[in-house]
Amino acid sequence: MAHKLYKPVSLLDTWIQENNNLVNKWKQQEGGMNTWNQDQSNLKCLSSEFHKLLMKIQGVPLLADHAQLELTVMYNACVYSVALSQFSEAELLFAQATERVLQMRGEKPVTSDPPVFWRKIMKSLKDTDLNASIHWLLCLQWAVWLATCRLKMILELQEELSSALDLLCTEVCDDRRRKGKSPDTPLLVLDPRRLVELLRVCTLIAHGAEKLSEGESSEALNDLQNASSLPAPRTLVAYTHLLSGSCFAHMSHPQMALQCYRKALETDCHCVSALYQSMLVYRQLRNTPAEIQALRLLHSALMLPSATEPVIAGTHLLSQSLLLCSQSLSSFLSVPSALSVLHSLALKCVLHGRVSEGVEHYLDLLAVLHSEDQHQVSSKAPHLPRLPELYLEAGAALLMVQRPDDCITLCEEVINTTQDLLPERVVLEEPEQKGEAINGDVCAEHEDKVEMLLWSGAAYLLQGHCHTHLKDWKQAMTHYTRCMNLLMKVRFKKIGCQPQILSADMVDEQGTDLCVLQRLKGLSLCGRGICFIQTDQLREALRDLQLSLQAFPECVGAGLWCGEVLWRLGRRQEAAACWEKTWSFTTQSTAENIRLYLQEPQTGPLLDSIELRQKIQELVPT
Amino acid sequence: MERLPSEDWVQNPHRVSSCGRLISFLCKHASATNDSEISELIFSILSFKREDSAFLKAADGEAVISRARTAHVDIVKCKCALHVQKRVTTPCILVTKRSKKAQGFKYSLLTLSSSNQLEPCFEFKLPYQLTGDVSIFNGPTVLWTHAGYVYYTSLQAGEVKQIPMQLSHSISGELPLHRGQIFILGLQNLSETSTSDQSTSQTLGYLVQNGQVFDGAVVLPYPYITITHCILVLSAEEVDGVLKAAVVAATSKQQLIYIEHGIVKDVCHLPFVQPEDIQVVDTGRSGCLFVISFHEGHVCAVWKEKFQVASHWSGVSSVHVDDFMGYGTDQMLLIFKDPDVESSSLGSFLLTDLCGISYSVRDPLLPAPNTSPVLPDNYFLTIQALESRLQSGLTVLQELQRELRVKERVLQQSLQALTDVVSEREPIITQHEQVSLSILTEVGQSSVPTVIQTQSQVFWLPMTSPSSSSSSSSFPASSFTEPPAKRSKQHNAGRNHDLNTCRLAVTAVTRLTPLLNSGCVKCHVMLHYVQRQDAFALMSSPTPAVLHCGQVALDIQSGFQTQLLNEVKEDLMSLLVMLEHWTFRIDSPDHSLGDIDSWIQNRVGCKRVEVSPEYLLLNSSGPSALMLLCWHQINPFQGELSVHSSELQMLQFLDSLLAYLPISCTVQPVKGTRGQDEVQIFSLALEKEVVSLRESVSLLLCKEEDNRRKSNDKTSEPGSVDSLQRCREEWHRDVERSKTELSPLVDVQRYRKLSQSLSKVQLEGDLAALLYTQ
Repeated sequence: MAHKLYKPVSLLDTWIQENNNLVNKWKQQEGGMNTWNQDQSNLKCLSSEFHKLLMKIQGVPLLADHAQLELTVMYNACVYSVALSQFSEAELLFAQATERVLQMRGEKPVTSDPPVFWRKIMKSLKDTDLNASIHWLLCLQWAVWLATCRLKMILELQEELSSALDLLCTEVCDDRRRKGKSPDTPLLVLDPRRLVELLRVCTLIAHGAEKLSEGESSEALNDLQNASSLPAPRTLVAYTHLLSGSCFAHMSHPQMALQCYRKALETDCHCVSALYQSMLVYRQLRNTPAEIQALRLLHSALMLPSATEPVIAGTHLLSQSLLLCSQSLSSFLSVPSALSVLHSLALKCVLHGRVSEGVEHYLDLLAVLHSEDQHQVSSKAPHLPRLPELYLEAGAALLMVQRPDDCITLCEEVINTTQDLLPERVVLEEPEQKGEAINGDVCAEHEDKVEMLLWSGAAYLLQGHCHTHLKDWKQAMTHYTRCMNLLMKVRFKKIGCQPQILSADMVDEQGTDLCVLQRLKGLSLCGRGICFIQTDQLREALRDLQLSLQAFPECVGAGLWCGEVLWRLGRRQEAAACWEKTWSFTTQSTAENIRLYLQEPQTGPLLDSIELRQKIQELVPT
Repeated sequence: MERLPSEDWVQNPHRVSSCGRLISFLCKHASATNDSEISELIFSILSFKREDSAFLKAADGEAVISRARTAHVDIVKCKCALHVQKRVTTPCILVTKRSKKAQGFKYSLLTLSSSNQLEPCFEFKLPYQLTGDVSIFNGPTVLWTHAGYVYYTSLQAGEVKQIPMQLSHSISGELPLHRGQIFILGLQNLSETSTSDQSTSQTLGYLVQNGQVFDGAVVLPYPYITITHCILVLSAEEVDGVLKAAVVAATSKQQLIYIEHGIVKDVCHLPFVQPEDIQVVDTGRSGCLFVISFHEGHVCAVWKEKFQVASHWSGVSSVHVDDFMGYGTDQMLLIFKDPDVESSSLGSFLLTDLCGISYSVRDPLLPAPNTSPVLPDNYFLTIQALESRLQSGLTVLQELQRELRVKERVLQQSLQALTDVVSEREPIITQHEQVSLSILTEVGQSSVPTVIQTQSQVFWLPMTSPSSSSSSSSFPASSFTEPPAKRSKQHNAGRNHDLNTCRLAVTAVTRLTPLLNSGCVKCHVMLHYVQRQDAFALMSSPTPAVLHCGQVALDIQSGFQTQLLNEVKEDLMSLLVMLEHWTFRIDSPDHSLGDIDSWIQNRVGCKRVEVSPEYLLLNSSGPSALMLLCWHQINPFQGELSVHSSELQMLQFLDSLLAYLPISCTVQPVKGTRGQDEVQIFSLALEKEVVSLRESVSLLLCKEEDNRRKSNDKTSEPGSVDSLQRCREEWHRDVERSKTELSPLVDVQRYRKLSQSLSKVQLEGDLAALLYTQ
């Protein structure tokens, strides 16, 4: 048997070939139009192949001429690990690689404290041909730190990282040219310069967001301004403008902030948080038309199909969403749901004189809610009021635009849904603290019952208003009475005291259930009183109106009509005093804080203040 | 087939499997009488009974090894091997006898015959004791290493032989060629040279049967030889005299590697260290498994196809591979370590092929906690293995689906093509290719050749006038109408003896118009030189000679003096006119461009033009490398780059710029390629119009003598500061003169001539404008 001597292919060459084949395979896939799932499976597949190749290479003792290849394959394998969010695996590989390199150079392995250990490695390899390769790995470590929100590490190694930045950014041109030519150079799956550029921008943004949330706006602004001029993906450039805007807003330069938000939006039309933030600024500036405009834009932006979908992630190995995951940043980027935006828009419109527009928005909102499952909605939009409340608000708006029939239908809906759930009797406890009552976490079931009752009451009240508007006094009185009957079921309880009947002086805070209860009472009494006046039952009217003023002293309608009744009864001095007193109230100052359906009706029989003043004028000389 | 697990387990019986049976051997020292002690080798044969799920004794026997009282008898190793003479595979047992009186160690190899009789095969003596590293190969052959050398003996050899070379890190194995060849791989002990050189000659292979030496790297690549613990050759064949082998090897790096023709094909991480043996289990339909046994009783099974760990076990006393069930496929038998062992029965064992067959028996006498943690764990691992197989099946299915899709697409395309052919339409697929091809060829024709042409003309310079070079000295210098500036230069050359006179100087004269318009100017080239014949000639003033070399096309861009740029704006303008000009729109929709301006500035030889700071002058390397750049950033994602340079340079610059720019960006010329020529023609026509108007008007106004003086002055050196200054003064004077003579009298003849020539020029200009606008 004769075995000729023949030269087997060297391990180094075959491994370089394998590496380059894998890189080329990826490059081909990268160009294709793949779905996200395909990309993920491609990623996983290539990741395992690179790791296998690395395993082969690390299966033999590290030789000097293998080192370059090993670090290149290590870089490639780690890129995939990071892309698949396997950060601890990547860090393990870094440790392995550096240990092997140090072993090769006959140096002792170093401590596990990352900054110390990287510093030692960089120093050890400073003037060797592995210098560039080890910088690539350092960049990946940087990526891992960034992705796991360990900004401190990055700050600690800032010097080394910026040297890596300089090195990779300047060398790249000549390097690439040289590499493209010779087939025996191991290829890289991701250009380190692109990586380092992305990392620089992402780090500045993450750091800026961190500083901003700590309240150090000017420092953050510095970072962000630096970041905005760097080459970066469109989304990130928009982030820099957005966060700069937030800094300005924080430093109370609202106009500058708006400028930045505009820039962010111009840069990337998907940056809806810029719209949201500018809306907040307008709200702060009390520029209601602009706020409404911003809300409208925000809503239509959120309704675009692309707004909710993630931006194409598969095209680049390491996407910014992978690298930017800090809490503070996402809090700046978060935007309320389209539904709650629509609700705010509708409410704003109604409250600021664009009632018909607001009504349209309310109807849109209800239509969306109807088409979707209610549970889904409530979980999707945490800031959205509950459905009956929306119905009532919409009803109130409808009444404002003289559509009482529609309002009655909506209220009927509320009454029907709550009917079976109404408690026979309910005790309202004094809230111990302000926040607790609003949160309503304490005893949700009890709270629910009270809510239910109040909604039902409000529905009757609105129906009463509607019938008043239609001049159907009898029906109106029936509904006001139903409202009052419901409210009678509530007993108020002070801590340590027995349940008791309410009096006006106990109400001190707006928005609480107690306040709502009192308002409801006052308004329904007032409504019924007006109806009595219209049917010429002046005594009954006077009684109701006076009771109304007791429950809800600021009720303008009750005050004026009370005076009117007194006037008609011939008690003119009293009437005048009553009117004067009513005018002295600062009306509607707190309108925004009161629920829409609890506001005094603007329709129905009205008294002209000028006429009343004339009456007083006539009265004085006589 | 079995290895000594460790010194502690010497008490254990040595087991070997053969023909579906398990044979265990045990040495027994029995004192027969007072003065003699019999050392016996006892064996028992166990076979698996499916109905009992247990190994039951099928036969047993014994043989007396020694009757000497002082002798110490021990089993070194047992393994099944081919008995060459009998042509059967028999269990072989290597036994050592050491008598206290005699020096050295006596070894004998026994075989178990088919009639269950122990028969001595051969004996040998050694002055040292064989330690763990002993192998029994086909023959039977016993092979071991001692003090850096490899020794072997067999029935054929008849004596202990030494492999004739010193090897460090030797590994032995069998090639499944013909009847099986025993080989040894090792690193040659070359202590002095080429330790860093990893050439293949370092790894040596040696065939025991015929003493042939071969390159060991065909079996195991160089760096692995030092770290490989055990090796198993799966297949080997000779193709054109070259050995091609497929090998699995377990290394000290906790890896199992699969090598084909000297190339590492696959690798698998092993869960344990110190591998000792590799066996193959052929489970039939489900593929093959490698069973690797490790030091201290760890065992691991790896699927051959997937090359992934299928399962692993610990606390194993020995592993055997055979068809114990009689199914026709292999199973592996894992015998677990038991504290109290009887030779005839097996304590706890697992008989499995990891794909359906699994029998496990635990000794009921054994305390439960000892074994219970082991087996459920193993089950779990088996499930894991099955799960991983399922997953791999799924990926195969996915691949098949993908292939199916591709096939469908191909089918569809072919169908389309077919229908196209039938309906006599042009196929659509090829059209695409045609278009791209035509673009390629067009670009090639229009751009590259101009550059190459110019260069080649310069290159061919000596060839164009070979005739005149011989008669250079006799050539009359006065036959040329030389411009005055040149003549003065020639004088200088004649007078001075410094280095400049010996240097080759090329002076070219051309008209201004082509100089301003195109990068390429044709002009006469004359060589002025001084002949340095001997010492005498040097003393007397040497006669300068002038040689006409013919016409040459020159790329005048390189000759332009750039130092002027920073002083006068007009120079920048003329440079802008002279250089070819491109404007590119750089558009990067997803990625901002960053600071391109500073990137350009950071390039070698770049500086800002002072008179017009938006321009950057790039004057880097080599001749004709002058380049003017203007970067205008429209927004962070868009910009416009104006390049004034030669085409080649522009391309080079764009190439390096593209490396810097984001991958997704596009670079597009702002004006279409169509306009380039027309623009040039139009601008030329306009320029001509202006120049002729100026010239003829000033001619009309000038007096005769002025005219003559002017024609002399005109031919001064075009590039220098002086001449430019003079030109400007001239022009200024003209203007002044036209002011002083308010209504000059003009010769009718000349005026008519002027208007005629002007109208002709204007007509040309109009034509060019028409072309341009269309």
